[in-house]
Amino acid sequence: MKLAFVVQRYGLDINGGAELHCRWVAERMKKFCDVEVLTTRAFDYITWKDHFPQGEESINGIRVKRFSVNRPRNPERFGKIQDIVVGNEHKEIDELRWLEEEGPLSSSLIHHIKEHESDYDYFIFFSYRYYHSYWGIHAVPHKSILVPTAEHDAVIHLKIFKELFRKPLAFVFNSVEEREMIQTLSRNENVMGDVVGVGIVVPKEFKTEEFRKKHQIPGPYVIYVGRIDENKGCDELFDFFLRLKKELDTDVKLVLVGNTKLKIPSHLDIIYLGFTSEEEKFSALNGAEFLIMPSFFESLSMVTLEAWAMGKPVLANARCTVLKGQCMRSNAGFFYENYGEFSLAFHLLLFSERLRKIMGTNGQQYFNQNYTWEVIEKKYLSLLDRLQERPA
Amino acid sequence: MNKKMDKKDDQFDSGNIRIDYDHLDVADIMDQIKKKTDAHRKNESADLASEGDVRPDSSLNSPEFEESGPVPSKAKKFLFKLMRPFSPLIKLLVLPVYQELRETIQTLDRTNKRLDFLSDFLNGALDEVKANLSQFNSETNKRVDLAFEDLTRAKEYAKLLHNLSHNIVVEMTKLKIEEENLKIRIRILEKDFAHLKSREKALESRISQ
Repeated sequence: MKLAFVVQRYGLDINGGAELHCRWVAERMKKFCDVEVLTTRAFDYITWKDHFPQGEESINGIRVKRFSVNRPRNPERFGKIQDIVVGNEHKEIDELRWLEEEGPLSSSLIHHIKEHESDYDYFIFFSYRYYHSYWGIHAVPHKSILVPTAEHDAVIHLKIFKELFRKPLAFVFNSVEEREMIQTLSRNENVMGDVVGVGIVVPKEFKTEEFRKKHQIPGPYVIYVGRIDENKGCDELFDFFLRLKKELDTDVKLVLVGNTKLKIPSHLDIIYLGFTSEEEKFSALNGAEFLIMPSFFESLSMVTLEAWAMGKPVLANARCTVLKGQCMRSNAGFFYENYGEFSLAFHLLLFSERLRKIMGTNGQQYFNQNYTWEVIEKKYLSLLDRLQERPA
Repeated sequence: MNKKMDKKDDQFDSGNIRIDYDHLDVADIMDQIKKKTDAHRKNESADLASEGDVRPDSSLNSPEFEESGPVPSKAKKFLFKLMRPFSPLIKLLVLPVYQELRETIQTLDRTNKRLDFLSDFLNGALDEVKANLSQFNSETNKRVDLAFEDLTRAKEYAKLLHNLSHNIVVEMTKLKIEEENLKIRIRILEKDFAHLKSREKALESRISQ
């Protein structure tokens, strides 16, 4: 069986959620199928301008075909059209114009999909909101599998996507909440789809003591890992944490790992480490009392899964339905909607070691049942088998 | 590590949140947290409301209601009890006669000022709400107008389509009648042909004789 993974960007240095997700799944499916990746030459997700050389290359044993973008994205033009389609009266043509601006606008990629349709058994498209998925699925609907990686943001309500969600042969969802959201929006219950997600590999050894010494954090700390951004709810987290510090007599610290787009408050108990290696990240996570995930929109939070895999409980933002649902299903995390809830849940997790231990164990169990790579591979193979067996 | 982290679980003050460690249920704990925060918020808002009330100045308190300083509560109670019968006399001796009246007027004045302030504040808030409402109304009206225009246009289209289909039906009927006429004419012509053929044959036989 030959599979084409179609994604907006692809490369070892590309760490975007959907792109990384695509690379990991492609590398895993290589064991079972002939896998090829169709992508653009883009590296930068703001402009999508050509960066990688055109043509074919091999990344971790996978053939990658890159196609040029017709033109880079103009953020100003994109902003204007986004304003029109989100929350204003508009027509379908405006939405299609928005999609063109959203990009990556690579007509050669779509042309290749059309021309070489018979070379592949299935095309697996990642991220519903980009040009390649929309027009790619329209080009080969009867061979397309969509991994929507959808969040609860405004553009999912666009008309063009309602129609798009009824087109593919099958879906691979990241979470139960994502499936419910898409089915509610487009009434596409008749389209086959499984909740799969992505697998995580956790190192067996951690250098936590080394990490503590290096960053001079001898005491207890909680951790946030990810982009430090307003969209990720980090400003609210800083506000809540500083309020909590005033009220609570504790020397707990907040450790932040990841690139920042926000001004981090200068406070002795907020420690910003910047972007770290995977090894250091896991060491930091291992030493933390629990993980805080303040993001409003997540299709699947890999860091949350990593925390559970390591037996760490999570305190998540309840306004993110996916995180809330996962906390409830796993019994391994609390969630908050306001400062009162944040403070109480924080208090419970910080001061009860027993509770942390039990929730950590629950998280590990949940992870082992749903998110080890063996489970993920089985789910993908089962879906492909069912697609093969279905009547023509 | 931390002074508070050393607390044992059985000593841990979970803020009256019951946790069944053997069958941990996050949903149940979150329900409790929500209830607790809701209750706390209600209390806070009640406190805020009562802060707005006018409180008598502490200097107005008669000695029997004063809760001053470090006097132990039992001794305090005893002193109050002892002095209660003399409180009018103490007031008379300690305070000038008009003092109570003056303080009452001061309290009323403060209340009036506070009421004025609240009334101004309320008026300001009402104006803001009105402005927002009128803006919202004008926007909604614009959108309704646009929708109405679309609807009228759609109605016109529907009318035109209706006329068009009516005309098509009339034209089709005419064409059908025309077709029938042509068929009849063809039949007549066929008969004429047959008749002419038989005449031709008769004439030929005559000529050959």
